[in-house]
Amino acid sequence: MNQAGPNQVGMKLAGQNFAPQGRRQLAAVAELRWRIFVNSLHSFRGRLELASRIFVGLAFVAGGIGGAVGLGGAAWFLMLDGNGEWLGTVLWPVFLYWQLFPLMATAFTRNVESASLLRFPLSYRSYFLVRLAYGSLDPATTVANLWLLGITIGIGAAQPRLLPWAAVVLLTFAIVNLLLARTAFSWLERWLAQRRTREIMGVLFFLCILSLQLIGPLIASYGHKSSPETRLLGQDLSKVQKPLPPGLASAAIASAAQGQRWTGLLSFLLLGFYGIAFLWLLNFRLRAEYRGENLSESATRKASPGELPALHPSWNVPGLPGPVAAVFQKELRYLSRSGPMLFTLVVPLFMLLVFRSSGQNQGLFAHAPELTFPLGAAYSLLLLTNLSYNNFGADGRGVQFFFASPAPFRQIMTGKNLAHAAIFTLEVVLVWLGTSLLYRPPSIRVTLATVAGILFALPIDLAAGNLFSIYSPTKIEAGVFGRQRASLTTVLASFGIRGALFGGAALMLWLSRVYGSSWIVVPVLLLPAVLAGAAYSIALNHVDKIALNHRDNFISQLSR
Amino acid sequence: MDSPTISTENLTRRFGELVAVEDVNLRVAPGQFFGFLGPNGAGKSTTIKMLTGLLAPTAGRIQILGLDLVTNMVEVKRQIGVVPEGMALFGRLTGSEYLNFVGRMYGLDRDTAARRTSELLEFMQLVDQPKTMVTDYSHGMQKKLALAAAVIHGPKVLFLDEPFEGVDAIAAGTLKAMLQRMIARGATIFLTSHVLEIVERLCSHVGIIHRGRLVAQGSLEELRAGVEAQAAVLPDAATSDGSPREKLTLEEIFLRIVGGSRSASQELSWLG
Repeated sequence: MNQAGPNQVGMKLAGQNFAPQGRRQLAAVAELRWRIFVNSLHSFRGRLELASRIFVGLAFVAGGIGGAVGLGGAAWFLMLDGNGEWLGTVLWPVFLYWQLFPLMATAFTRNVESASLLRFPLSYRSYFLVRLAYGSLDPATTVANLWLLGITIGIGAAQPRLLPWAAVVLLTFAIVNLLLARTAFSWLERWLAQRRTREIMGVLFFLCILSLQLIGPLIASYGHKSSPETRLLGQDLSKVQKPLPPGLASAAIASAAQGQRWTGLLSFLLLGFYGIAFLWLLNFRLRAEYRGENLSESATRKASPGELPALHPSWNVPGLPGPVAAVFQKELRYLSRSGPMLFTLVVPLFMLLVFRSSGQNQGLFAHAPELTFPLGAAYSLLLLTNLSYNNFGADGRGVQFFFASPAPFRQIMTGKNLAHAAIFTLEVVLVWLGTSLLYRPPSIRVTLATVAGILFALPIDLAAGNLFSIYSPTKIEAGVFGRQRASLTTVLASFGIRGALFGGAALMLWLSRVYGSSWIVVPVLLLPAVLAGAAYSIALNHVDKIALNHRDNFISQLSR
Repeated sequence: MDSPTISTENLTRRFGELVAVEDVNLRVAPGQFFGFLGPNGAGKSTTIKMLTGLLAPTAGRIQILGLDLVTNMVEVKRQIGVVPEGMALFGRLTGSEYLNFVGRMYGLDRDTAARRTSELLEFMQLVDQPKTMVTDYSHGMQKKLALAAAVIHGPKVLFLDEPFEGVDAIAAGTLKAMLQRMIARGATIFLTSHVLEIVERLCSHVGIIHRGRLVAQGSLEELRAGVEAQAAVLPDAATSDGSPREKLTLEEIFLRIVGGSRSASQELSWLG
């Protein structure tokens, strides 16, 4: 039987020659997004979400413009001084931000659900463009493009004749970045979707963490070197970065500025080659999706005929009522099967590395071992936003079951909170171990103060999360990157609450230093911890009534 | 009639200006297999959601097993099983994990939940998919699993919203076997369905809702008699040769009650 290929367009349907045209389809998708946006404004929640979006958008635009001015000024200065070969120092931050921010802050990242598009007669090209268009609307892309615009203007202001060439090179650099970000996202999603590949990723990550231990001695050894030796290291690093996209973009502009046109063109062509390579990889991945690839978590093994189902009792968690233990177990199972969520949870350890790689034995970093642990713990709490502030997001339609079951919401919330608290505790332990490996074990005083701070912040955070989970639920797809977002209003509110909590803890730390007794901070934090526990308990006791009163919106939002 | 297992008094639900369900007075006796029918958008799912506590009524009263749903919600939920619209499954668990979870949520101890899970998976012929996530189940398998979850705690009343929608004949046979077994043991079943043949074969009593109002309620014979009595006064009551009419099917009863004729004035000429 002949099958229509993905590129085969035009078919006879209902007496009309129906030719799916990419442009019309893209316009239809854009119009659909617009209609969804307009319709969302009919509800209070939708309007609140828009306000949050505007607020976040303004923050990003401010960051974008600020960065553009700063990086543009730096580029102008470098070009004016004839140090074009150092342009890499302004292009690398753009590159790193563009690639790492979407992974570290998935709350602001959005991905398209391919299944919803593929049911239409969409040509592969249109599908590809839609996937790419979603990436170009990402906040990281917008901010990074503003930065690149600033750099282009800076170069143009210093050397006006170079402006057209710099614009072409930096536009290509932007395209390379966009393609790389989309490629990384789609491949990570692919690898994290299945247990086997996820396990391989886990091993690689573990090796990566082990290798981090080498960085400490490396930095320590160069920290004591003389200025010429440090310069030598800078030259070595410069050589390493040259064949990479920021280095190539920098070389393409710098060579042109020095009149070495062919060298500049070669660098530009190599940059273009990166673009083609990323395009090929992205195309490979998206085509598999387009053809209907179904990445399934399930193992393919089936029971042999006649095999009776084995008895697998659920976990026995002593002291917990059955429903609480069941929800606790279910939450941990869900998390263990959500690659992107797991990935998010290892980000604090990456941050430790970043912190370590900046580590100098002076200024703020002289206190690094003492700061890393509390900061790492605070960052871990921030990353729990998508879990604890949107408790039911991954349950989707399953939330109806919670309303149909006799288990009170108080117990359901307790199970979820216990699971999230367990994950957070594990994170904190890992951060402590990471700090110990990268620096030295944090002092007992700092460890106890951080634990006391957690006992104060966590109950408040969980209580607030429970309420936001009911008032502003958002359905999320836990297995797919960019679709684990809580509502933006919730994300902003959670940042505000955490800001207040961390600010309070920091204030107590500061007061303890002022009064010359750093130990006092432990009991000072434990007192509000008791109050926080009481507040959590009160909020939990009201959760049944609140859930019942909001069940219509609650169920409809999650059952979409 | 025994005191009803399910009864509603002037049950009403409004969504803004829209009245989805209006003054519905249902009565379902113990042990009845009750089919709740209606055209699309008539208010079937809204009613079943209110009966199971998934949606708050705007007005009216609901009693299940003699207990007021609002004041005894937890106790009622303990004694009912529900397969809601969309099935309310947790996609990233395996079938076995899901049933174990549901069992625990209904208060079963670990061993009982595990034993019943095993038995239900076997009965529903889901045994050969031990490692498969629910999200990867076929639609029919998901329906079977949803029904298994609804009965794992041995409910006295079962609410099923479109249990046969999208289910093949083999899966439907399994579901019917399970439901008939429950009826034989004295449970009461309340189901909505578009498949009138199945309702006719399974249900002893039927309620028909149309535009939010309950327009008919009773046993199949009572409804048939009502429709035939109404038809008797019409000019085409007798067949042309005077022979007795065949028994009306549920579909004919349904169409006569809700007025199923559709104007063919608008033809989709472009369909060819």
